Amino acid sequence: MTNELAQVVFEVMPQFEGFVYPNEASPHPLWGVLIVLYPYITGLVAGAFIMASLVRVFDVKPLEPVYRLSLLTALAFLLCATLPLLFHLGHPERCFAIMMTPHFSSPMAMFGFVYAWYLMAVLLLELWFDYRQDFVEWSKTETGWRGIVYRAFTLGVTDESDAAVKLDLKAGRFLSIIGIPSAFLLHGYVGFIFGSIKANPWWGNVLMPIIFILSAIVSGIALCVFNYMVLTWVRRRTVEMRCLDTMGMFLFYALVFDAAVEALDWIHRVYLAEEGFQVMQYMAREKLFYTLSIGQALIGTLLPLLILGALQLWRKRVPELIRRRLYFGSAVMILIGVLAMRWNVVIGGQLFSKSLRGVMGYKLEFAGVEGWFMGLVLLALPFVILVVLVKLFLSERLPTSGHVPHRSSVPAKAG
Amino acid sequence: MASSRESRFSLPPQILRLVLLTIAIVAVYLVARYFLTPPSFGQFGFYRGDVLQELASLEPVYAGKKACEECHSEQYQQVAQAEHKSVSCEACHGSGQAHAEDPDVKMAILGFSRCVRCHEENPSRPKWHKQINSRTHYTGEKCTECHLPHQPNEVP
Repeated sequence: MTNELAQVVFEVMPQFEGFVYPNEASPHPLWGVLIVLYPYITGLVAGAFIMASLVRVFDVKPLEPVYRLSLLTALAFLLCATLPLLFHLGHPERCFAIMMTPHFSSPMAMFGFVYAWYLMAVLLLELWFDYRQDFVEWSKTETGWRGIVYRAFTLGVTDESDAAVKLDLKAGRFLSIIGIPSAFLLHGYVGFIFGSIKANPWWGNVLMPIIFILSAIVSGIALCVFNYMVLTWVRRRTVEMRCLDTMGMFLFYALVFDAAVEALDWIHRVYLAEEGFQVMQYMAREKLFYTLSIGQALIGTLLPLLILGALQLWRKRVPELIRRRLYFGSAVMILIGVLAMRWNVVIGGQLFSKSLRGVMGYKLEFAGVEGWFMGLVLLALPFVILVVLVKLFLSERLPTSGHVPHRSSVPAKAG
Repeated sequence: MASSRESRFSLPPQILRLVLLTIAIVAVYLVARYFLTPPSFGQFGFYRGDVLQELASLEPVYAGKKACEECHSEQYQQVAQAEHKSVSCEACHGSGQAHAEDPDVKMAILGFSRCVRCHEENPSRPKWHKQINSRTHYTGEKCTECHLPHQPNEVP
């Protein structure tokens, strides 16, 4: 009875309900928790970048304290965005092959182009232009390996003249303007991977890229709120309430927009009631009850909407400490809710049979490549990278150039 | 006049460095691509051309029904007249090329899983196909205690 197949039959068969094709009889769906993390992490990148461009492009001055933190957050998460895919596919030593033989014929292969564009042409360049003057200054004062790192990052350009700094600011702003559609492309693309699957009624939907990018913006802003508050707490500093209130305001409006479009999607599905509707109803009621109704709708949307909405109305009456806690709580709830949303999309789309008359089950394991421990490690890794980035580039020890990104027309005095 | 024209056309230092860096990255990429792309890639299509030869030269692991018949003609005749006649020997007994070449190499031991792979209850299977629920049908180890796989309708 130790035969693998016998175990599959024993363990899996009771998890099935209704009509399930024999070829769907596998203990796990093809895409597991790693594929849940992939759109989640990518969304956080896009959202954190949009958050940064609020300062750079839209001149939202109260958000200046989190401008660099948001960009570094985007970078830390972007560096990990491909890891879930890589681990899921296996054979990570072959990862270079996608770069060596690029092509346009599959949506998954397109990610190489989208990713390379976003990382190399947008995020790294914008960060470099923003930090160039600081790198020059820090390379003069810092010694040891830090000095070597900063000197290397200057790329040998030590020009700090007004004209050069002005050009940096202009280039940064230009890249940020390019970056907004790029961020939409990056995450809209991830939604497109699912939305373009015609045969699956849970996925095949033109609203999918839009829902993905909106939830990405919400989760990215929530992550910036989380990171900013944790960073100030670790540094024993006080949170700038003006900045936090503004972040809370943008988080609220983004969430309103996101919730409205997601509700529109559901109203659309309910009204059309196409052939897959019954099984989708069953999924929402039974199989995905905890992640969809509790996780996504209640924790991820309704509660934060109420809390953040109330804070918009009665901000002045709520003491700062309570406000900080409410913002932090809402950010954490939104981060959980968006993770639940990615789970519902990725796993939900694989839990019902192509017959539309039966459902499969999925029990997340602890160990193994597709286990939740691995997922936790992959979720923790960007935070570890972010700590290194913050220590290197947001250190309190190092003086910053003092120029503010939005005033590109009036550069501050160099040095 | 000449100097102003010069300054108009000179690239700012940081942009120049970025352009050089970009050229360097692209050059490294092209060199890496030259060395890391397999030589036969794209010979017939978007894949490594050599792979066809490599796959064709793999040793077959299945021997086929005819090879079984050479020594096990009695069992072969039994199966040929019974309901499992369309099922290949190796579908239940496992791959047999090694055994066919050298009878001393033993075949895999048959397990219960071979039967339930086709006969486990599933509403998607046609009604005429005999199905059981392995949890309630029999809790013992061997299907062959009650069934003869070569003659499924006979009783042992």
